[in-house]
Amino acid sequence: MPGLSLSTLRDRWRLFTGAILTVALGVALVQSSLVVLMSTGEPEIPAGASGREAEHIREGYVGAATLLGMVVPLALFLAVFIVGSTFAFTVAQRRRELALLRMLGGSRPQLVGLLLAEAVLLGLVGSAFGAVLAAPATWAQSSLLVRLGFLPDGFTAVWSFAVLPWSFGFGVAVAVAGVLTAAWRAARTHPLDALRDAPSAARVMTVGRWLVGLSALACAAPLVAAGQSADLLGALLIAMAVSILGAVGLSRLSPLVVPLTGRLVGLVLRTSPLGELAQANLRDGVRRSASTAAPLIVLVALLVGLTGALGSLARATGEDLKRNTAADLVVESSGADAARIAALPGVAVASPQTPLEVSVTAQHREEGRSWRRTHHSGIVAVDPAAYGRTHRPKPRRGSLADLRGRTIAVGPGLAGEGLRVGSAVTARIGDRRVKLRIVALMRETLENNSETFLVPRDLIPPALTADTRTETLVQVAPGTDPRAVADRVRAAGIGEVRTLAAWARGRVDAQQRGNVGILAVLMGMSGLYAAVAVVNAIVIAGAERRAEFAVARVTGLTRSQVVRTALVESAAVAFIGLALGGLVAAAALAGFRDGPGGVRILAVPWGLIGWLVVSTFVITTVANLLTTLAATRPVPVSLVAARE
Amino acid sequence: MHTHTSPAAATAATPTGNMVELFGATRTYGTGAARIHALRDVAIGFPAGTWTAVMGPSGSGKSTLLHCAAGLDRVTSGQVILAGEDITRAPEVTLTRLRRGTVGFVFQNFNLVASLTAEQNVALPLKLARRRPSRKDVRAALAQVGLEDRLRHRPREMSGGQQQRVAIARAMAARPAVLFADEPTGALDSGSARTVLGLMRDMVESSGQCVVMVTHDPVVAAAADAVVFLRDGRIVDRLVRPSAPQVADRLARLEG
Repeated sequence: MPGLSLSTLRDRWRLFTGAILTVALGVALVQSSLVVLMSTGEPEIPAGASGREAEHIREGYVGAATLLGMVVPLALFLAVFIVGSTFAFTVAQRRRELALLRMLGGSRPQLVGLLLAEAVLLGLVGSAFGAVLAAPATWAQSSLLVRLGFLPDGFTAVWSFAVLPWSFGFGVAVAVAGVLTAAWRAARTHPLDALRDAPSAARVMTVGRWLVGLSALACAAPLVAAGQSADLLGALLIAMAVSILGAVGLSRLSPLVVPLTGRLVGLVLRTSPLGELAQANLRDGVRRSASTAAPLIVLVALLVGLTGALGSLARATGEDLKRNTAADLVVESSGADAARIAALPGVAVASPQTPLEVSVTAQHREEGRSWRRTHHSGIVAVDPAAYGRTHRPKPRRGSLADLRGRTIAVGPGLAGEGLRVGSAVTARIGDRRVKLRIVALMRETLENNSETFLVPRDLIPPALTADTRTETLVQVAPGTDPRAVADRVRAAGIGEVRTLAAWARGRVDAQQRGNVGILAVLMGMSGLYAAVAVVNAIVIAGAERRAEFAVARVTGLTRSQVVRTALVESAAVAFIGLALGGLVAAAALAGFRDGPGGVRILAVPWGLIGWLVVSTFVITTVANLLTTLAATRPVPVSLVAARE
Repeated sequence: MHTHTSPAAATAATPTGNMVELFGATRTYGTGAARIHALRDVAIGFPAGTWTAVMGPSGSGKSTLLHCAAGLDRVTSGQVILAGEDITRAPEVTLTRLRRGTVGFVFQNFNLVASLTAEQNVALPLKLARRRPSRKDVRAALAQVGLEDRLRHRPREMSGGQQQRVAIARAMAARPAVLFADEPTGALDSGSARTVLGLMRDMVESSGQCVVMVTHDPVVAAAADAVVFLRDGRIVDRLVRPSAPQVADRLARLEG
C-alpha cells in the first residue's frame, strides 16, 4: 500500500499541490510561532529597569504569547479544512481508480489505509517544505511583534532543533485529520463505479454535510436573535461565534446553497447564450462551484465579521469615553506646566492626571479566593474635586471627597477585581512605603487598560511629577469658545491641545493597535489559505473539464467562447461565495446595529470588503483563464472520445 | 506453458459442475413508471473449464447478468452461487475475499491503474490479497501475454492491445476460478483481438478456468464454447460451438 500511495502521489502531484502548500504554510507558521514562543519563555528584563517598565515588558510577552496562541489554532483549523476539501475533491476525481481497487480485491480498510498513507506522505512532504519556509516566517513574525510593540527592540528568536518533531507531527496530524472524511467516503466506493462513465453516482450532499451544516446554522440562529438585546461584550462574543458557525454551516451546505443562489444570478446570465451555458454549468457542476465558493464564504464571513465586530467595539468604546468625560479640551504637557492651566482665563475646571512611577500592592478578595498582587501601571495622581467634575460616572462605592491624605481610589481598570472600600494597600512612592486606605471604587468602563488606581495629588511630592507627561481635561467656562481657550493654552506654551473627540479617538486607537496587529496577521494568513483553496479547486476542476470543453467546441463554440463561458461561470461563483460570506458577516454584526443610547456604533469595514472583492475576482479570473486555456489547447476531437 | 490448475477451479464447483449458477435471477431498477426489468427470472449455469459468451441487443440485460453473476451487483430476487458459495446476500467482506482469489475481471476499457507500471499492475491484486507475489511469477504472467519487454511501462505508454494484455496477465496471475470479461476486445484492432482471444482460450484449456464473456461481436462470440442470447432480460436461445455466421444470423433475427 505505501508503494501505491507513493506512486499515486508522484503521478498525480498536481492534484495534491494545494494540499502540500497548505500543510507547508501551516507548518511554517506553527514552527515559527513555536520558535518565537520558546524564545519568549523567560522575559529578559534589562538591569535597572523600573517596575513599570518591567511590567510593560512582561505584559508585552504575554500579549505576544496570546497572539501566537490565537494564530496557531486558526492555522490548524484552516489547514485541516483545506486539506480536507482537497482530499474530498481528489477522492471524487479518483472514483474510478478507487472502484478498480475494490474490484481487484481491495477491502474497505485497505482503501482507508491507502488514503491515510497518502496523507502521511503528503504531511511529511508538506512539513519538509514548511520547516524550510519557517526560517523567513520566524524572522517576519518576530519583527512584526517588535513593530507592534509586543516585544522589545533587538529581540531575536533562537532556533532550536527541538521544534522539528513538533513541526512534522503537526504537518502529518493535519493531513491525516483532513483525510478522515474523504477516506470514509472512499471506502464506500462501489466496485461497479469503475465501469460507470458519469460521475453522477457520487452524492455531493452527504449525511455528514447535512448534519454539520444544519447544526452549525441551528446554533447560529438563536445567537443572532440574542445579539439584538445583548450588551456590547455579549454582542462581540456573539459576532465571533456567529461568524465561525455561519461560515462552517454555509460552507458545508454550499452544494445546496450555491446552486440555489446560482438561480438568482442566472436570471441575469440567461440574457445571452454564453451566459445561459454558464448558468447551466453552474447548476450542473455542483461539487466544482461549491468547492470554489466554500473557502470564499469562510474567508469573507470570518474577516468581515471579526473586523466589523472589533471596529464596532472600538467605536463604542470611543463613544463611551466621550459620554463619560465632561470636558471640552485635553491638554498634554509636563506635570509642572499642567498646574498653570487652571489659572488661564476661560477655564472652568482643569483636571490633570499624571501617571506615576509608583507601585501598589493590594490584597484582592473575590468569591472566597484571595490573592496578593503588585500593580505598576495605570496609577495616576489626580485632583479629586476636579476629577469628580470631569468624569461623569460617580463612584460605585465610597466617595471621591474622601480622597485626601493617605487614601487611594480604585480606578475603572481594576473595578471588577475584588478590591473593597475600607481595606488597605501598600504603596511604594519613591523610597517610602506608605499604607493607603481605599476610599472609593470607580465604575467599570468599556476601555481596556484604563486607570487602575487614583492617588490624591497632595500625597505625591511635586518634584516627582514635575517632568512627567500629564493629561489635563479642561472644561471651559459657559459662553467661552473652546477654540479661544485652546489658543491661550498654546500661546502660554503649556503643551499640545486636542478636542475631546480627537483625544478619545487617539486613546482608543492606541488601545486597538494590538488588536489591529493581531487582525492583520490573522487576515493575511486566512487570505493566503483561502487563495490556495480557491486556486486549487479551480485548477483541479479545470483539468477535469477537458472533455466537456471539447464537446462544447465540437458543438460549435470557438475556443474564446468556451473560455468566456468559463470566466462568466467563475465570476458568478466568486460573486455567490462573496455574497453568502457577506450574509454571514451581516448576521454576525446585527447585534451592533443599535448601540447604547441610540448611538450608531456599527463599523462596517468597507475598505476590507473592497479589497476582498477585488482580489477575489482577480485571483479567480486569472486562475480560471489559465486553466481553461490549458484545458482547451489540444484539438477537441482528440478529447471528445478519450476517457480519463 | 502455464500448467498449474487452480485449486479453486478443481474443488469449488457445485455438484452439477457449475462454477457460477443463477436461479430465478431478477434485477429491477427504479420504481413506479420508471421501473426497468434488466433481468427476468434467469436460470443459467456456467461449468468449470468452459467459455460462455453472452450476447443480445443493447439493453437486453447482458451486462447486468455479468455484474450479478460476479457479485458486483445484487439480484432483486433469486439466487446466485459463485464457486460453491451463495453470494445473493453475502456481505462486502465475503465479496472482497472472492474478488481476491476466486474471480478475475477483464473489461473493454482495460482498467489499469494509471500511476503503476505493467509489472506493478499485474502484482496489485496479489498485494491487495496480502499474497507476496514473486517477481518471477509476475514476469512469467507478462511473458505469457508477450509483454516481457514492457515490464516498466506505464499504461499511457502502451497501445490498447498491450494494455488489454496487461489486464489479462493481471487476471491470470491471481489464477481465478472464474474470469468475467465485458467486451474484452471492444477497443482493440483485429490483430490484438485475436491475441487476446487466444490467451483466454489458453486459460480455459490449460487451467480449467471458467470464462463468462459479454460481447456483441459474432466473431468474438464464436471463439467461446457456447453462446447464450438474451432479449428483454430473458435467455431466449443457446448455441454450442457455433460459427461466426451462425451467431450473426441468430443475433440478426433477435434484433429484427
